[in-house]
Amino acid sequence: MKPIETRLARLARKGDQRAFAEIVDLYKDKLFHLAYRMMNNRQEAEDVVQESFLRVYKHLDRYDENQKFSTWIYRIATNLCIDRLRKRRPIYSLDAENSDHEGLDGYAMMPSDDRTPESELLLSETQRIIRDAIETLPAKYKSVMVLRYMQDMSLQEISEVLDMPVTTVKTRVHRGREFMRKKLENKL
Amino acid sequence: MKCNAAIAYMHDYLDRELPPEQTKELQAHLADCPECRERLEALEKTDALIRSVPKPANAPDYMAYRIMKSLPKTRSPKTWTTWVRRHPAVSAAAMFLVVMVSSFVAMWNQSQQLTVRGADLEHVVIEGNKVIVPAGQKVAGDLTIENGVAEVLGDVQGNLTIIDGNVTLASTAHIAGKIKTIDRAVDWAWYKVTSWFDTIAYGS
Repeated sequence: MKPIETRLARLARKGDQRAFAEIVDLYKDKLFHLAYRMMNNRQEAEDVVQESFLRVYKHLDRYDENQKFSTWIYRIATNLCIDRLRKRRPIYSLDAENSDHEGLDGYAMMPSDDRTPESELLLSETQRIIRDAIETLPAKYKSVMVLRYMQDMSLQEISEVLDMPVTTVKTRVHRGREFMRKKLENKL
Repeated sequence: MKCNAAIAYMHDYLDRELPPEQTKELQAHLADCPECRERLEALEKTDALIRSVPKPANAPDYMAYRIMKSLPKTRSPKTWTTWVRRHPAVSAAAMFLVVMVSSFVAMWNQSQQLTVRGADLEHVVIEGNKVIVPAGQKVAGDLTIENGVAEVLGDVQGNLTIIDGNVTLASTAHIAGKIKTIDRAVDWAWYKVTSWFDTIAYGS
């Protein structure tokens, strides 16, 4: 028997709104967690979640049932996050990072209007530092790190979501981890 | 083991993907490299710190409602693009047909010139748009005439095909094969297709 999501997707494809509402219920929190960690902003996370579901709804016909539904929906949401991050950020690469000029990269010059997280209560300075470090990860590393650490996905699953070879995912996890180590080492 | 290799091993180790054998190698390296020991500790700490980030709050309650309301009222009926995606072979065939037909039509409109084709044209006389097979002459093989008038007084030992023209047969004429007169685009196209397949099949 097909997993529940696949059956719901099939019903929704035929126009069953209640089936789609169930899909929304199953995934809204998961996608919100992902989007919130990616965007670090509640409003944007909500927008991403809403847009993701809209895309899912519009493209149900394109869903390939041989694939896990979760992989497909995560791919849609992750891509939306990456698109938005790329649009709002200056081009930045890990390799260009220079520890001598820390704080003088593109971010320091970004206006900090809607980027400031406003809703999550930070209980400790440690948590704030970690979150800031995640926030400064370039989009391609950030998506991998968030899926790996916040969504507890295996390297294999991430490679399916992002549609890239496992070796690439592995390299990005490694680089992301090194990036985080450098960011956290001096501060904690 | 070099420190670079050791660092790569450390990451695999943190990914829980380092085989036991390599783990031993790494262990041996760490035993006499304090720098790498420090590095591993820092990485482990980083790993643990990232994991310590609490899950954010769930999506707000109004999200589900807002999402359902934002959906288009009815799922748009299947568009032709969907159909095309689902029937690639049929679509390709249809596309092919459209291209073929339109190129035929284009060629049809273009070619107003007299064209004579055949294996043996030495015995054929051409006057203006008139193609004459003189009396007593034998044309070996087929003869095809486009946009012209054929006047056959002698023998044609194959098929005679006239496209967009007509044929006059004298009493002395003898045609071994069939006589075909084609003067409509559709027939012409069909003739083109069959002769094209003939070319493929027999290479003539």
